Amino acid sequence: MRKAFVIVTGMLLAVFALQFVFAAVGAFTRPGGDGSYTLHSITGMAVIPGLCLLTIVCAVLARAPGRVLAMTVLPLGLVVLQALIAMLARAFTDASGASTTAGLVVGGLHAVNAIIVVHVVVGVLRAAQELAAPAPTVQVAQR
Amino acid sequence: MTTGSVLAFDLLAAIVAAAGWLGAGATAVAGRRRAATAVGAAALAATLARAATTILLARAGWWFAAEKVVIAGPLLLAAVLVAGPRLLRPAPVPFLFAGYALTAGLLVTVLHGYPVSAGAGLLAVAGVAGATAVTWRFLGSGPVPRTAVVVAVAALVAGTGAAATAGAVPGVPHAHQHRDVLPVGEPTQRFTLTAGTAVVPAGDRDVAAWAFNGQVPGPQLTATAGDVLEVTLRNRDIGRGVTLHWHGYDVPNSQDGVPGVTQDVVLPGQEFVYRFRADRAGTYWYHTHAASDVGVRMGLYGVLVIHPKPVIGVDVTVPVHTLAGVPLPEPVVQPVAAGDPVRLRLINTDDTTHRYALAGAPFRVAAIDGSDLRGPAPLSETAVLIPAGGRYDLAFAAPGTPVALYVDGRMAWSSGPVSAATGGWPVLDPLTYGTAEPLPWSRYDREFTLVLDRGVDLRGLLPRYAHTVNGAADPDIPSQVVRPGEIVELRIVNRSLVVHPWHLHGHHVLVLSRDGRPATGSPLWLDSFDVRPGEVWEVAFRADNPGMWANHCHNLPHADAGMTLHLIYA
Ligand code: HEM
Ligand SMILES: [Cu+2]
Repeated sequence: MRKAFVIVTGMLLAVFALQFVFAAVGAFTRPGGDGSYTLHSITGMAVIPGLCLLTIVCAVLARAPGRVLAMTVLPLGLVVLQALIAMLARAFTDASGASTTAGLVVGGLHAVNAIIVVHVVVGVLRAAQELAAPAPTVQVAQR
Repeated sequence: MTTGSVLAFDLLAAIVAAAGWLGAGATAVAGRRRAATAVGAAALAATLARAATTILLARAGWWFAAEKVVIAGPLLLAAVLVAGPRLLRPAPVPFLFAGYALTAGLLVTVLHGYPVSAGAGLLAVAGVAGATAVTWRFLGSGPVPRTAVVVAVAALVAGTGAAATAGAVPGVPHAHQHRDVLPVGEPTQRFTLTAGTAVVPAGDRDVAAWAFNGQVPGPQLTATAGDVLEVTLRNRDIGRGVTLHWHGYDVPNSQDGVPGVTQDVVLPGQEFVYRFRADRAGTYWYHTHAASDVGVRMGLYGVLVIHPKPVIGVDVTVPVHTLAGVPLPEPVVQPVAAGDPVRLRLINTDDTTHRYALAGAPFRVAAIDGSDLRGPAPLSETAVLIPAGGRYDLAFAAPGTPVALYVDGRMAWSSGPVSAATGGWPVLDPLTYGTAEPLPWSRYDREFTLVLDRGVDLRGLLPRYAHTVNGAADPDIPSQVVRPGEIVELRIVNRSLVVHPWHLHGHHVLVLSRDGRPATGSPLWLDSFDVRPGEVWEVAFRADNPGMWANHCHNLPHADAGMTLHLIYA
């Protein structure tokens, strides 16, 4: 199960990397329109939350210690937050639908939060790897 | 502060509060007590801010606050009572409990806020109790409290049951075609519109489009009041089918062009003949109502103008559209002689509001949505906002100097070189423009309230995050039933974060009030009006056009994502 925890966390990290790519796909699609961010939107609202849940299940089954488990739950929360930030950024538009400064600031947080999630997931991956193949010293210390 | 911005700040406060408590919990887990106290204090401030926004929203109208008071409120209170006293002695479990409680309240608002449902409330409680039990198991001291587990399981079972049974709503009685064989007389104007894929110029490029007669917009249909129009619609190769809807022109039901409701969709190789008498002069437009989201965006639309008997002066139509990201129409320069009366017919065929500004001459808003206004005063340096689907007619006498029309700051029409910065101009509020007239009715026979929001819709094959009316999405929104001759009052409440341009087919509605303040200007008979976030519109109409009518948001992706219902005559 510890192996599965490592694999699923690795997949999660890979999909996060893809999500950055999909954001760029959206930004560079010409002509831009409602459909430009479809890939980003589906990945962000379905694939990533699903993988986050799977990672949590794996962590529980792998009997990860409380600290690691808490760290594994964090990405799910941050991803929900990520979707809410995107929604909120769109709410701050003026009467004719153009973006406002407030909206751009909130939208900027979307990118900042994305960087934070990726860092957390890298941390989870390290912890999962340690759990699967404990370094000898750690093993001794644990006994 | 408008109710719309309170709605946005409420969401912001809820997010910061939930993230704050979870962060404080995580910091406490890491053993950093000082930091945990600081983060917890910030979370408490955000929590109190959400309590404040909840109170403000409840005062603006129960629709905006219901679930925040009934479901999120008790959770928020529990969070403050449990986590507040531990602020100076940080401990992971109380902080995380507060985080779960705030998160649950936030998710109820975002996923299924209105109307308050037992299912949503119970599932929120189950989530909080379950997450707290798991947290306790890993971080708490001593065994997991029995009560938490029992509450979690009981609420989960009851909540799932409640959510499942609430799903049984009578669907729309579809394919109910109203056959009104009213004799309209011999056609005096005949047109043929052939829909097909095409490549059309847009800006400096050629783009793939769906077009009537190979052009975007389709040919302008012009008639004189009293004409009988016969329009033959043919579909060459639009696989998803086409129809013609006469936006703003209240035709008999069988001519309204809503597939599956008033007619069958016109598939490739098929045709359909529309025939109706054009009595009401004004500015209208036509568009496909089949796959209308993509169809209209790709170019299946055009202008319908009905002139009063004599055409006098210069008559210009400006149908604004965004085709493949390019704003249409191309700017036109058209010299006009000083003193000539000019009528600019502004049409918004997009999904979102546009801002129009006329520089260089005082003007009047002569008509909105095809209905003349009463006593419109001259305006200058004033912009107008036209909702999706809406039309404004601007009238003025051409001065000796050039005049220009700007749409969102881009010049769309002019009579010569003009440079003007229109961005800072105030915006006309049509509810206070022109001279009032007593209401034509003193009583209302029927009243409907439509609360617009977003929410999860689990009734279809795939779950979706729908645009909802009273918590439901098409085709599960109950139809509104009226009897012929009734005066019907419609209240439209927007508790979402985006504008919804409302559009009732077959009728024009008279605006009574917005946000509780009665309209004081000219009577406004509209068919398309923007209900902005936090707004409450009260409008009324006489049920005088029997049939089954679409009643929907004219931001067509929203309509496609659930925001469509029907008005039917009993
Ligand atoms: C790494 C994790 C990320 C996740 C989980 C994520 C998730 C999401 C979600 C759920 C939406 C809302 C989609 C919708 O409502 O249709 C969204 C929108 C958006 N995201 Fe991200 N995102 C991530 C990273 C980024 C990054 C790095 C950028 C760019 C710097 C970005 C740019 C955007 C933009 C521009 C939108 C708005 C798209 C639109 O208007 O439809 N995202 N994202
Ligand atoms: Cu809408």
